[in-house]
Amino acid sequence: MMETPGELVRGGDSSVILKVENLHFRWGANEVLKNINFDVSGNEMVAILGKNGAGKTTLIKCLNRINQVNEGKVTIASKDVSKMPLLDLSKSISYVPQTVRTSFPMEVFDVLMLGRRPHVSWRTSPLDKDVVSQTLRQFGLEELAFRRFDRLSGGERQRVVIAKAVVQDPSIYLLDEPTSDLDLWTQLLTMDTIRNIINDSRSEKSAIFAIHDINIAARYSDRVMLLHEGEILADGPPEDVITRSNIAKVFGVECDITQATNDRSMNVVIGKPITKRM
Amino acid sequence: MDLITKSHIEKTGRQIRLLAGLLFLTLFFALFSLGTGSSNNLGLVPTMKIIFGLTEPTGLQSDIIWRLRFPRVLMAIVGGVALATAGALMQGCLGNPLVSPLTLGVASGAALGAAFAIILDFSFIPEVAIVANAFLFSLIVVGVIIRLGSMRSVSAESYILVGIAITFIAGAIVSTMTYFATDAQLSQLTHWSFGSLSRPTLTDSVIIGFLVLSLLPMGLIFAWDLNAMALGGDDFAISTGVDPRITRRNILILSALLTSIIISFTGLIGFVGLAAPHMSRLIIGNDYRKLIPCSAVAGALLMLFADTVGRTLFAPVVIPVGIMLSVIGGPIFMYLLMKHKGGMGV
Repeated sequence: MMETPGELVRGGDSSVILKVENLHFRWGANEVLKNINFDVSGNEMVAILGKNGAGKTTLIKCLNRINQVNEGKVTIASKDVSKMPLLDLSKSISYVPQTVRTSFPMEVFDVLMLGRRPHVSWRTSPLDKDVVSQTLRQFGLEELAFRRFDRLSGGERQRVVIAKAVVQDPSIYLLDEPTSDLDLWTQLLTMDTIRNIINDSRSEKSAIFAIHDINIAARYSDRVMLLHEGEILADGPPEDVITRSNIAKVFGVECDITQATNDRSMNVVIGKPITKRM
Repeated sequence: MDLITKSHIEKTGRQIRLLAGLLFLTLFFALFSLGTGSSNNLGLVPTMKIIFGLTEPTGLQSDIIWRLRFPRVLMAIVGGVALATAGALMQGCLGNPLVSPLTLGVASGAALGAAFAIILDFSFIPEVAIVANAFLFSLIVVGVIIRLGSMRSVSAESYILVGIAITFIAGAIVSTMTYFATDAQLSQLTHWSFGSLSRPTLTDSVIIGFLVLSLLPMGLIFAWDLNAMALGGDDFAISTGVDPRITRRNILILSALLTSIIISFTGLIGFVGLAAPHMSRLIIGNDYRKLIPCSAVAGALLMLFADTVGRTLFAPVVIPVGIMLSVIGGPIFMYLLMKHKGGMGV
């Protein structure tokens, strides 16, 4: 797997795991999210695109109750998220914040072990430790196992937090800019690892990730949701959503979209900014 | 077995042995402390024989060991355990290395209660006026913490700021009262504020011991939650299944209770609750599942050491443990901080 980062395999059809209905979210008088509706199925990866302040992070945080929604409903496997005990919720969803800033000197192994917390009462078994060890290898982090988390680079931290989310073994991953601090090779490795977990037909896991890199979104998602001014502007397969006109409308940037010859993936070649943002 | 798993298990084993060693050292020092004092240095072996019932002590020996030194040594252990545990819990859940059991204002509440008893001769339970007042007044502060914890958007900083406000308010009232106090009352109040282990009787110390022992496991239960909160903040904690607001409130109530139980009997002892957790971080690391027990043992050892020195150094004069803790613990603490280049996170 590590030899061929970037290879693309898409997930198949599965049942709906996450359902968002008429979701509204306000900070005071400012309506950040308006009437959001969408479903996410098992083995599906959904990218959320949108410019700064479009509500990507806010939306992600609404799904696992970090933000309390003002109106509407989020359900996971038909269970209302707002009524689930937090511990049960953390077994279904794990969330990777964009950055974890900390001065807390904890070893990487123990950071990943936090992912077992929803599953164990207090003591961890050798089995839990094996889960951690294997996940460390999966993400190529074995060298860092006993290093202090607070002394890692931004990119290393980001991978550790993603690995912790994997240790948590949820059915839904919420990833906020999971590649923002990563170098190119590690971006592909990390996204590949996540894609493989989502594709695994033995389970029905899905992932929702907010991302700025349109090409990463196109390459790894089954679906792209374009968020614009708190509303979903478009929602569908990458080739339908990532179009010249949508990119111009949302980001105010000209682009050319080319189809890669060897696989289904597409390339977005970024052009000049359009002077007036629309 | 996976190699990484194996080295983690080995590491945990080393930490547990270290903890066991520290515990043994503390118990050994407790025995030594029982045999040492201003009036009658029995020596370690005869003391052990008396404690374990192997030799029949003389009336005087029995009195010194069981009535004078045993409550004191027990109180040092229990006090150290309680205050250090409270300190570790509070530093963790408030995410602040400067926090000690005195930060929440519980101790200031206790001091106010003591001042009411000593200066105004006002008490709900006159027989044990100072202890009862100190405890009840510190419970008022616990009440404020509970009230604060029920608010929706209370942050870690709010608790600290409210604690500081309480400290100022209580301090101002006590200062005002001292204007009306007699010299004898002033001296009594000053003495109370030094923190001393000589007040509790055998019964007191056994009861306090049981109380603290019954509260301690609750502290350990929070260890995972503290790890999650300390590492990644509230959002990260929520996604790990921890409700930071409720956890923080519960931890602070527990810490405040542990603190007020001890301080009501001993007077102001603060430093052990700041220093023991930090020393433990250097010994055993920052995983709260190990840090909490290690802080407890380190706190007991630090208190025992300070008190034993305090009552032998200028014997027969006994220097209160609160003073000795700062005199001895302060430089050790500073040395450790310098040695580790100032790097002690929470």
